[in-house]
Amino acid sequence: MQNVKRSAHTPKTQTLARLAKLNFLAFGIVITIFPFVWVALMGTHTRSEIFSSPPPFYIGDNFIDNYYKLLEIMPFWLVLWNSLFISVMGTIGAVFFCSLCAYGFFAFEFRGKNIIFTLMIASMMVPPALLLIPFFLTVQFLGILDTHFALWFPAIANAFGIFLVRQYMVTAISKDLLDAAKVDGASHLRIFLVIVLPLIKPVLATLGIVMFIGLWNNFLSPLIVLSSPDKFVLTLALRSVQSLGDSPWGAVMLGTFLSMLPLLIAFLFFSKQIMAGLTAGAVKG
Amino acid sequence: MASLQLSNLSKSFNQTKVLEGLNLMVPEGEFIALIGPSGCGKSTLLRIIAGLDEPTSGDVLLDGQWVNELSPRERKVAMVFQSYALYPHMTVFENIGFNLKISKIPRQEIRQRVTQTAAILDLEELLERKPSQLSGGQRQRVAMGRAIVRNPNLFLFDEPLSNLDAKLRVQMRDEIKKLHKAIKTTSIYVTHDQVEAMTLADRIVILNDGVIQQIGTPQQLYNTPVNPFVAGFIGSPSMNFLNGKWEDDHKTAIILKDGTKLPAPVPKSNTHFDASTQNDILIGMRPEHLHLRPAMSEDIQVKGVLDHIEPTGAQNYLKVRVDGQIITATDLQQSQLQSQQPIELAIAHKNLHFFANTAHE
Repeated sequence: MQNVKRSAHTPKTQTLARLAKLNFLAFGIVITIFPFVWVALMGTHTRSEIFSSPPPFYIGDNFIDNYYKLLEIMPFWLVLWNSLFISVMGTIGAVFFCSLCAYGFFAFEFRGKNIIFTLMIASMMVPPALLLIPFFLTVQFLGILDTHFALWFPAIANAFGIFLVRQYMVTAISKDLLDAAKVDGASHLRIFLVIVLPLIKPVLATLGIVMFIGLWNNFLSPLIVLSSPDKFVLTLALRSVQSLGDSPWGAVMLGTFLSMLPLLIAFLFFSKQIMAGLTAGAVKG
Repeated sequence: MASLQLSNLSKSFNQTKVLEGLNLMVPEGEFIALIGPSGCGKSTLLRIIAGLDEPTSGDVLLDGQWVNELSPRERKVAMVFQSYALYPHMTVFENIGFNLKISKIPRQEIRQRVTQTAAILDLEELLERKPSQLSGGQRQRVAMGRAIVRNPNLFLFDEPLSNLDAKLRVQMRDEIKKLHKAIKTTSIYVTHDQVEAMTLADRIVILNDGVIQQIGTPQQLYNTPVNPFVAGFIGSPSMNFLNGKWEDDHKTAIILKDGTKLPAPVPKSNTHFDASTQNDILIGMRPEHLHLRPAMSEDIQVKGVLDHIEPTGAQNYLKVRVDGQIITATDLQQSQLQSQQPIELAIAHKNLHFFANTAHE
């Protein structure tokens, strides 16, 4: 029996299988990374070089000129700061309030709890485009058109975040722990801050990065809310210069590349926690 | 330390009644075990005493004070959970000192009290470790430490030993007993293990279907169970039951289905059962009271056929077919017997238990 089993896994077939797997993964990496590398490379070329044939797939020498051009066509660093401000505020708010709300759904028993939770989940199924006009009307009604507040504040309570954190709590925290803390004399706020928050760090990191990426890449809401160019966010500013007849593509590509860096840095920082958060529950007994 | 009184306590979840009309008085310093089968409401009762659940009706009194609406903290109770419920991200030191920190006790005193507690429980070497780096027995001790460090009014144990292996369980049982002797805090101990209850408790409360069946010392429950449930629950292996009826209207003898005659029960001073008012009677015999020998005076003879033997090392359990059912008898001599061999068992008349057979009513 053992011999039969072993013959199916000779060193040769094993190496071949490994090789196939590696090739497949390498192919995936190239496909994923290519657009980013391409954008980075184009940021160092002039417009005419970019449109030459074959396209220049090497580092050009127009980087400095593109940078000055970029500052000329938009207040790049101000716009980057705007994006950063909105993303950070929205992320911190969402992580805190979503976990607070999730704790409510997790730790308390109250009438109508399941109905409210189901309604909340159901709200995730409404296509975002459908919400644009109601969103605009609400923002207009509240008198916060053309403010950053209108962009990050509505994001801090969202169904996805509450759902994600609550599900994690259910798998990661036993109710006995809450009871033990109550017997120890802790109030609900203290239980949340001292017991629950440290135990759900992985999912907070996951939610944080998802929120940050979402807010950073958000284009539609800034488009309908913001009108003054000095309040623009990156996505909006980069799009607005493309409508010129003679788009300075080198500068736009450089701006696009620079706008990706904060996300990259954030991901490198939190990737360990994110992996832990996304796979949690899979390995827990 | 405090006395605990439960009066007319009931609890229902929606339409399901979990506890019904419970009355219990626990004097200061007593160790009470609450036992019963799974789902009998013992953990719910403990949570109500702790203040984690509210009773539907009835009162909880600590030292004569009505505490229904007080939080666990205000009641000054400490609880040891079945899952230990240690805070995974805190060290042993922080786990034990957590409630002292909440009570805003000065850091110096926290250090002193935690170290003292750790010394009692032999945890001094482990104070800087996280719960995940401890064995089951050590975690159990940390959970105990967390409870005793605060000198509570009342100790509540919710099946604290059920996650340990058999050997460790016996060891921890002894430690709990020693601990209670030393600090004498009023304790309520929930378990489904009757041996644990018998060895630890001053008095035992037996619950079934949310109703107290009997309260008494381990000896009382063993010697004079008030109903077949208590009789069957206390003692291992559990009591044998045979069905009988009065032989005739004179009620001088009980007759089993196979014709065996038993003399009428001697009324025991502390049983509530009046056999003469019943028609169907349940006769209980503990396996350890059934002896493999011919009947002497004062003895009752029970005849049967040996079905099989269960050896346990120290003694054999004989499974004997009597009156169409299998009963168990303890054989300390470990006699050489053959399966299907006719057997004569003897039991002293005073060791027979009589109950109303409510299943036939």
